[in-house]
Amino acid sequence: MSTTAFLTDSTLCIGCKACEVACKEWNQISEDGYEWSGHSYDNTQAVGHSTWRHVKFVENPVEIGLGGNSGEQLPAWGFSSDVCKHCEVAGCLEACPTGAIVRMEFGAVFVQPDVCNGCSYCVVSCPFGVVQKNEEDGRAFKCTFCSDRQKAGLAPACAKACPTESIKFGNLEELRLEAQLRVKELEARGIHDAVVYDPLDTSVKGIHALFLLRGDPRSYNLPPHPEVPTTYMKKGWTSAAIAAGVMLGATLLAFLGERR
Amino acid sequence: MSRVPLPEVPNRLPDVESERRLNEIRRTAAQSGMVTAKGVTPVGAPFPQASPETGYYGVPLLKEPQWTKEVPLYFFVGGAAGAAAVIASAAHLFTQDDDLVHSARWVAAAGGILSPALLTLDLGRPSRFLNMLRVFKLQSPMSVGAWTLTAFSSFSAAAAFANAIRQKLDSTPVYVLENIAGALATATGLVMASYTGVLIGATTIPVWNNNIETLPPHFAASGMNSAVSILELLGHENSRSLNLLGMAAAGYESLEGLMLETKRTRINEPLRKGKSGWIVRLGGVLSGPLPLALRIAYAITGNKKLRRAASWSSIAGSLLTRFGWVQAGHASAKDHRIPLELPESVPKVGMSSHELADMHMKMA
Amino acid sequence: MAENHPVGFQWVMEARHKGAKVIHVDPRYTRTSAMADYWLPLRAGTDIIFLGALINYTLTHDRYFREYVVHYTNAPIILREDFRDTEDLGGIFSGWDKEKQAYSPETWLYEGAPSADSPSGEKAGHSQAGGGHGKDRGGEAGRLYKYNDDPTLQNPRCVFQVLKSHFARYTPELVERACGIPKEKFLQVADVFISASGPEKTGAICYAVGWTQHSKGPQIIRAAAILQLLLGNIGRPGGGILALRGHATIQGSTDIPTLYDILPGYLPMPFFGSDSQKLESYIKKHGSETGWWANFDRYIISLLKAWYGDAATQSNDFCFNYLPRVTGDHSHFGYWLDMADGKMEGLFVMGQNPGVGAPNAKLQRTALSKLKWLVVRDFVETETASFWKDSPEVQRGELNPKNIATEIFFLPASGHAEKDGSYTNTQRLVQFHEKAVDALGDNRSETWFVYHLGRRLKAKAAKEPTPRNAALNALTWDYNTHGKHGEPVVDEIDGEINGYRVENRTLVSGYRDLKNNGSTACGCWIYSGMMPAPDENKARKREPHGLYGHGWGYAWPSDRRILYNRASARPDGKPWSERKKLVWWDEEKKEWTGHDIPDFTKKKPPDHKPDKDARGDDALAGDKPFIMHPDGTGWIWVPSGLKDGPLPTHYEPLESISSNPLYPEVPVNPVAKKMERPDNPYAFEGGDARFPYILSTYRLTEHHTGGGMTRYLSHLAELQPELFAEISPELAAELDIQHGEYITISSARSAIEARALITARIKPLLVEGRNVHQVCVPYQFGYKGLVTGSVPNDLLAISEEPNVRIMETKALVCNVKRGRLPQGKAGLEVWKEEMRRPA
Ligand SMILES: Nc1nc2c(c(=O)[nH]1)N[C@H]1C(S)=C(S)[C@@H](COP(=O)(O)OP(=O)(O)OC[C@H]3O[C@@H](n4cnc5c(=O)[nH]c(N)nc54)[C@H](O)[C@@H]3O)O[C@H]1N2
Ligand SMILES: Nc1nc2c(c(=O)[nH]1)N[C@H]1C(S)=C(S)[C@@H](COP(=O)(O)OP(=O)(O)OC[C@H]3O[C@@H](n4cnc5c(=O)[nH]c(N)nc54)[C@H](O)[C@@H]3O)O[C@H]1N2
Ligand code: SF4
Ligand code: SF4
Ligand code: SF4
Ligand code: SF4
Ligand code: SF4
Ligand SMILES: [Mo]
Repeated sequence: MSTTAFLTDSTLCIGCKACEVACKEWNQISEDGYEWSGHSYDNTQAVGHSTWRHVKFVENPVEIGLGGNSGEQLPAWGFSSDVCKHCEVAGCLEACPTGAIVRMEFGAVFVQPDVCNGCSYCVVSCPFGVVQKNEEDGRAFKCTFCSDRQKAGLAPACAKACPTESIKFGNLEELRLEAQLRVKELEARGIHDAVVYDPLDTSVKGIHALFLLRGDPRSYNLPPHPEVPTTYMKKGWTSAAIAAGVMLGATLLAFLGERR
Repeated sequence: MSRVPLPEVPNRLPDVESERRLNEIRRTAAQSGMVTAKGVTPVGAPFPQASPETGYYGVPLLKEPQWTKEVPLYFFVGGAAGAAAVIASAAHLFTQDDDLVHSARWVAAAGGILSPALLTLDLGRPSRFLNMLRVFKLQSPMSVGAWTLTAFSSFSAAAAFANAIRQKLDSTPVYVLENIAGALATATGLVMASYTGVLIGATTIPVWNNNIETLPPHFAASGMNSAVSILELLGHENSRSLNLLGMAAAGYESLEGLMLETKRTRINEPLRKGKSGWIVRLGGVLSGPLPLALRIAYAITGNKKLRRAASWSSIAGSLLTRFGWVQAGHASAKDHRIPLELPESVPKVGMSSHELADMHMKMA
Repeated sequence: MAENHPVGFQWVMEARHKGAKVIHVDPRYTRTSAMADYWLPLRAGTDIIFLGALINYTLTHDRYFREYVVHYTNAPIILREDFRDTEDLGGIFSGWDKEKQAYSPETWLYEGAPSADSPSGEKAGHSQAGGGHGKDRGGEAGRLYKYNDDPTLQNPRCVFQVLKSHFARYTPELVERACGIPKEKFLQVADVFISASGPEKTGAICYAVGWTQHSKGPQIIRAAAILQLLLGNIGRPGGGILALRGHATIQGSTDIPTLYDILPGYLPMPFFGSDSQKLESYIKKHGSETGWWANFDRYIISLLKAWYGDAATQSNDFCFNYLPRVTGDHSHFGYWLDMADGKMEGLFVMGQNPGVGAPNAKLQRTALSKLKWLVVRDFVETETASFWKDSPEVQRGELNPKNIATEIFFLPASGHAEKDGSYTNTQRLVQFHEKAVDALGDNRSETWFVYHLGRRLKAKAAKEPTPRNAALNALTWDYNTHGKHGEPVVDEIDGEINGYRVENRTLVSGYRDLKNNGSTACGCWIYSGMMPAPDENKARKREPHGLYGHGWGYAWPSDRRILYNRASARPDGKPWSERKKLVWWDEEKKEWTGHDIPDFTKKKPPDHKPDKDARGDDALAGDKPFIMHPDGTGWIWVPSGLKDGPLPTHYEPLESISSNPLYPEVPVNPVAKKMERPDNPYAFEGGDARFPYILSTYRLTEHHTGGGMTRYLSHLAELQPELFAEISPELAAELDIQHGEYITISSARSAIEARALITARIKPLLVEGRNVHQVCVPYQFGYKGLVTGSVPNDLLAISEEPNVRIMETKALVCNVKRGRLPQGKAGLEVWKEEMRRPA
C-alpha cells in the first residue's frame, strides 16, 4: 500500500466541525467536558486523548467589504482542522518503550491499544502536543489515521465527513504536489499569504498530515521548528557517559584514598 | 494591514456623552485595530487572540507530562540505588569495610526492588508492566531505562543475596558470584544514576531538552549525594571516603545551582520562577552549598551532628531536585511561547507563495 | 449558508473554485463571510433598501437584461390608472382600508383585467383569516390574461416605469445612511453582482431566515425576485433565488403540508364563508382560467378521491364539504394566543419544541398550562414537555405545578435512523431513506403513530355514524402494515401520493393523467410521477447522471431540476448562449429538449400564438415560460396574491431603533400584526430609550434549532456548551464589559443572561450619523439537556407577517448590562426595573 496522507486546506474549511464529530462518532471517543472557552467558536481547544480532530478558529481584524476569500487581508476568521501529523520521524513512535506505537503499511503512526501500558513517555515526546494519556483509561490515545477504515479500503471518517473537501486524503507525494499547486493557484487569485506547513527540513523530516494555511502557521499553534526529541539523545548519552565515568572515577578515587 | 479610512462621523446627538465616547473608541479601533478603553482587559486586545506571537489563544502547544508522583520518587530511588551499587563495589575493591559493602549492596538491592514497583504504579495500566520488555529500543531512553532497571534489579539483588550468603558461609563461588553480580550492578547502576537525565532531556519539553547536557551529571551527582547520605545515616558515619564523595557531589550540585541561577534564559524560567522554581532552588540549596558547608565544617570540627545534618539535607535536596525538575517540565509545557519562538538560525517551516515563486524563478 | 447548510455550501465552494464571486450580506461576519469575497454588514431589517438600491442601480444604469425582461416578465404590462404608489401616498399603496387595516387589491390589477369578485358577490381580495402559502398561483383578485402592454417599456404606467419610479429614492446614499454600508462598498458589490448576468452569465441569490423572519419577509424575497428577473437570472442554470430551507424535510412539510392554510400540492384550504360552500365556486375562485392552474379542478378532485374514496362522488361534490374550513387565524401564533386565553383543550406537539424555539417562549410555555391535555412526541424530554416542573416561570413563582391541570403525555418518537421515509430538500428533491436500526423500546415512527391513531378514531367513529363523524367514516385509511409493531408500508403511501386510476388502482405516470371526473385519485399532484409503477419509486434512485444529477432521487414536478427552464432559451427557442444552455427548441423534432426536463409543453413551438378564447396552458404563448401564472410572465409586479402590496417597500422592523427614513408617517408594515397584549408587549415605536441596541438572533452550526437534537448529545453539546451573545469591542468598551463575563440582555418581554463573546466580527454601523450596535444571540439554548442556558426566545415578541404569518426574529431592540441575571423571583424584579426606566 502506498503512503497515505491528509492535506488539510484551511482556505476551504468552513469550520463546521463535521470532521471533529465524525471522528468522535467513528472512534467512539468521549466528550472532553462542557466548558465555554471564549476562544472564538472553539470550545474543545486542542487535540488530545478525547479529541483527535480539532478545528481551530483564528480571528483577525475585520474590514467591511472584504470577505475571507479576498486576497487583500487575512480572513477575519480562519479555520483549520488539526490532527496528528503522522510524522515521517515520529517522536512518539521513537520514544514508546513497549513498541505499542507502530508504523502501519500506509505510513500511519498507530498506537496499539492492546499493547500500550500507559507509561506516557510518548506524551512528552511529541513535538506537536498530540498524543495524550487518558487518565481514566490509563492508555495513550491519538488519531489512528482510521487504520481500521483504511485497511477496509475506506477513507478516514474525518475526510469522508468534510463537506468542502478541505480535508483531502490520498497519496502523500501527490498531496505534497497538490499543496504546492494549490498555493500557486491561490497566488494567481491574488492570495499571497498561503503557506504549506510540512516541516521537511527539521528532524521530523516531513509529516503525513499537511496543512495549507493563510498567514503564519504559528497563529494555529504549529511550531516553526519542531524537533524529534531523539535529536537530543546524542548529547544526552554522551553527557551521561561522562557523568557515569566521572562518578565511577570519583568513587574509586574516594575509596582508594581510604585504603591509603 | 490596510484599513478603511474612517468616514467623518456626523454626530446626530452631539450632546450625548456616550455617543461621543463611542466615536472615539470607534476611531481608535479603526486606526490601531484594537480597543484599549476601560473595561477591555486582556493584554493587547479586548478578547483573547490567536497570532504568531500569542500562538493559539495561549493554549499550550505541548502536552504536559502525565507522570504521577511515583516518577520523581523513582528518579530519586533509582539514582540512589545506582550510586549505592557503585559505592559497594568501590568499597569492596579498596577497603576492608565489609559492613559498608554489605549496607551499600542492600541499599542498591532495596532500590532495585522499589524502583520497578514505583514505575509500575505510575503506569496507566500497571498490569502491563512487562510490556516494557516486549522490545528493546536504543532510541527510546525509556526502553533503555526499563531494561537497565531490570538488569540492575537482578544484579543488585543477586549481589546483595550473595553478600548475605557470604556473611554466613565464605565460599569461593559465592564470592565470585557476588563480585560478578556486583560489577554488573555497578555498571548498570552507573546508567541508573545518570540515564534519567537523558530520559527527561530527550523529550520535547523545552526546559528539559534545553538542559540535556547537564541533566545526566546533575542527576548522577544527586544520586551519589543521596546514596552517600543514606549509607551515612545507616551508621557509616565514620567513612572518610563517604564524606569525601558527599563533598564532591555537593560541590557539583553547588556548581549546577550556580549555573542554573546564572543562565537566565526564558526556557529556564520554570527553574527560577513559580512553584517549580522554588522547589528547584530549595532542592539546590539543600543538596549543594548547605551540605557542602556542613561537611567541610564536620571535616574541620569532627562534629557528627553536622555530618548528620548534611546527610538529611542532601537526601531532602535530592528528592526536591527530582520533584522540582518534573514540576518545571509541567510549567514549561504550559508555556506556549517557547515552541513558537523563531531563533535566527532556524529557517521558517513552510514556504510562502512569494518564496515559492522565487524558487520557481531560480529554477527556470 | 456555511453555518446552517454546510453540506449544500460545498457547491458554493465549488462555484468559487470555478471563479464565481461570493457576496455575503449579514450583520455578522460568519463562517459564510469567511468564505466570501465580499462581506457587507448591514443593519438588521434593512434588506429592502439594499435590494431596492440594487434594482435602482440596475435600472438607472441600463444594466438589465432587456430581451429577457421584455419577453419573459410582466415589465411591459400596463397598470390601472387608479393605482397609487407608496411614493405618492407616503408609505401606503392605493386600496388601503383604514378600518379593516387591510388592502383591497383591485387597483393593483393590470389595466383591463376584470376583477374576480366571487359568484356570491364577495369582493375580490384575500381572506383575512388565510395565510398566503397557497396563493402563489395568483389571479384570485382578477382575470389576469387580459392586459395591454408596451414592449418599448416607455408607457409611464407600465410595470417597468412604475418600478423605476418606485425605487428611485433607493440610492447608494440611502444605503449608506440606513443600512450602514459605505456607499463605495455598495457600488463595488453592485457592479460585481450585476456583471454576473446576461446571456453568458448568471448569478444566484441564496437566502434563508435572515430574510424571511421579518415583518416584511416575503417582500424582501420579492425584491430579490425583481432583481433576478431584471437580470435574467430565473429559469437559467446558475441563476435563481434559492431558499435554503430549515428542518431536513421542511420543503416536504409544505408540499404535503403541516400548515393550516393549504392542502397537499399548494391547494388552498377552503375558508369559512359563502364562496367555499360549493366545490365549483371554490374551484372558480382559486383556479385560474389560463396557465397551468387551469388544471386546479383535476388536482383537488383527485385529492378528494384519494381521501374519501368511494364516498366521494360527483353528486356530493366529492365530499368537498368534509374538508374542514378555516375560520380564523389558525397559524401557530393564532392558536397559541387562543391557548393562552384558555380557548383550547388539547394539543399534539410532534417534532417541535416551542418552549425554546418559538418567540416569546415565556408566553408559549405559560399558555401550555391552560390546556387540559398535551401530547408531546419527541426522543428527549424537551422544555415543552417539562414546562410544568422546571421552566423559568416555575422557578420565578409565576407558575405553580400544583395548580397546573394539564395532563401531559410524553410519547417516545423514533429517530430518523429508526424508520423508513423520505426527505424533500430545498431543491424539491425527494430522497428516500431506509431504516438503519430497529426502534428502541417504545419508540414509534410518526407514520405508525398517526396511522394507528387514525385507525382507532375511525373505529370509534364507526360505532357512532353521526353527521359529525361522517368525514372520518368516509376517510380511506387502509394501508397494509408490516413488522411486529404494525408499521404502515411506506411505499403504499407513496403510491397514493403518486396517484392511481380508481377503477383498477393502477398507478398514474404523472399529473397529466389526472382527471376532474373522479376517475383518478392523487394524494399530492406535484409528486405525481414519482412512483409510476409499484416497483419503481424514483425517490429511491441513486444513479445520478448528466449535468443535473437526474437519476438521483426525484425532483417534483416531473423530475425537473430547474423550474421555469424555458427561460433558459431565447424567445425563438435557441439557447441564450452555448455556455448557459439548458433546454431549447429542437427545430427538427419540433419539440423542447435539453439537459433538463423542459418545464414547458413539449410540443408547443416558441412562436405559438394563442387564440383569443384559448384556455389553460394553450392560452399561453410560446415565449411565456412562467406557466404557473395566468399570464405566463415572471412577476416583477404582483397584481394579486400578496396582502401588503404589489411591490416591496421599506418599512422598519416592528421594533426599531430608528424611524422610517423613507416614510416617516408609516414606520412599519401597516398590514403586519403585532398582536400586542399585556403578555406580548412592545418597545415604543421610532426608538425607545430603554432599548438602545438592535437584537438579532441566529443559529450555530453546532446546534439544531431548539436544541432537542443537539444539546442532549455529548459530541455536539461540548462544541457550544453555553449561551453567549456576540457584541463588538466598541460596545463592550462602552459598557465596561469584559470578554467572557455574564451580561444581562433585556427586552420589553423579558430578560436573559449570556456570556459576552466580544468579537471584531460584529461591527457597529454608522446609521443616520449614529453608531448603531447590534447584539447577536444564538437562540438555541434552554434549561434542559447536557448544556443549558437562558432561553433567548423569552426576549422576542410574537408577531405575524401578513402573508405567511412568520414572526420577526432578526430585528428587535434590547438593552445590555454587565452582570448575571439573578435566579428566581429576583430575576423578574431586575427585568421589571428595566421596564421602569424612562422610555
Ligand atoms: N446547524 C444548523 N443548521 C440548520 C439549523 C440549525 O439550527 N442548525 N436550522 C435549520 C433551519 S430550521 C433553518 S430555518 C435554517 C436557517 O438558516 P439561516 O437563515 O442561515 O439561519 P440563521 O442563523 O437564523 O440566520 C441567518 C443569518 O441571518 C443574519 N441576519 C440577521 N438579521 C438579518 C437581516 O436583517 N438581514 C440579513 N441579510 N441577514 C440577517 C444572521 O446574522 C444570520 O447569520 O437553517 C437550517 N439549518
Ligand atoms: N429567535 C429565533 N427563534 C426562532 C428562529 C430564529 O431564527 N430566531 N428560527 C425559527 C425556525 S426557522 C424554526 S424552524 C423553529 C424551530 O423550532 P422548533 O421546531 O420548535 O424546534 P426544534 O428544536 O427543531 O424541534 C424539533 C423537535 O423534534 C424532535 N424530533 C426530531 N426528529 C423527530 C421525529 O422523527 N419525530 C418526532 N416526534 N420528533 C422528532 C427533536 O428532538 C426536537 O425536539 O425555530 C424558530 N424560532
Ligand atoms: S504528531 Fe506527535 S503523536 Fe502524531 S505521529 Fe507525530 S509525534 Fe506522534
Ligand atoms: S503511553 Fe503507551 S503508547 Fe505511549 S509510550 Fe507508553 S506504551 Fe507507548
Ligand atoms: S483519521 Fe480517523 S482517527 Fe484520525 S482524525 Fe480522522 S477520523 Fe479521527
Ligand atoms: S469538516 Fe471540513 S470544512 Fe468542516 S471543519 Fe472539518 S475540515 Fe473544516
Ligand atoms: S445536518 Fe443533515 S441536512 Fe443539515 S447540512 Fe448536515 S447533512 Fe445536510
Ligand atoms: Mo426553520
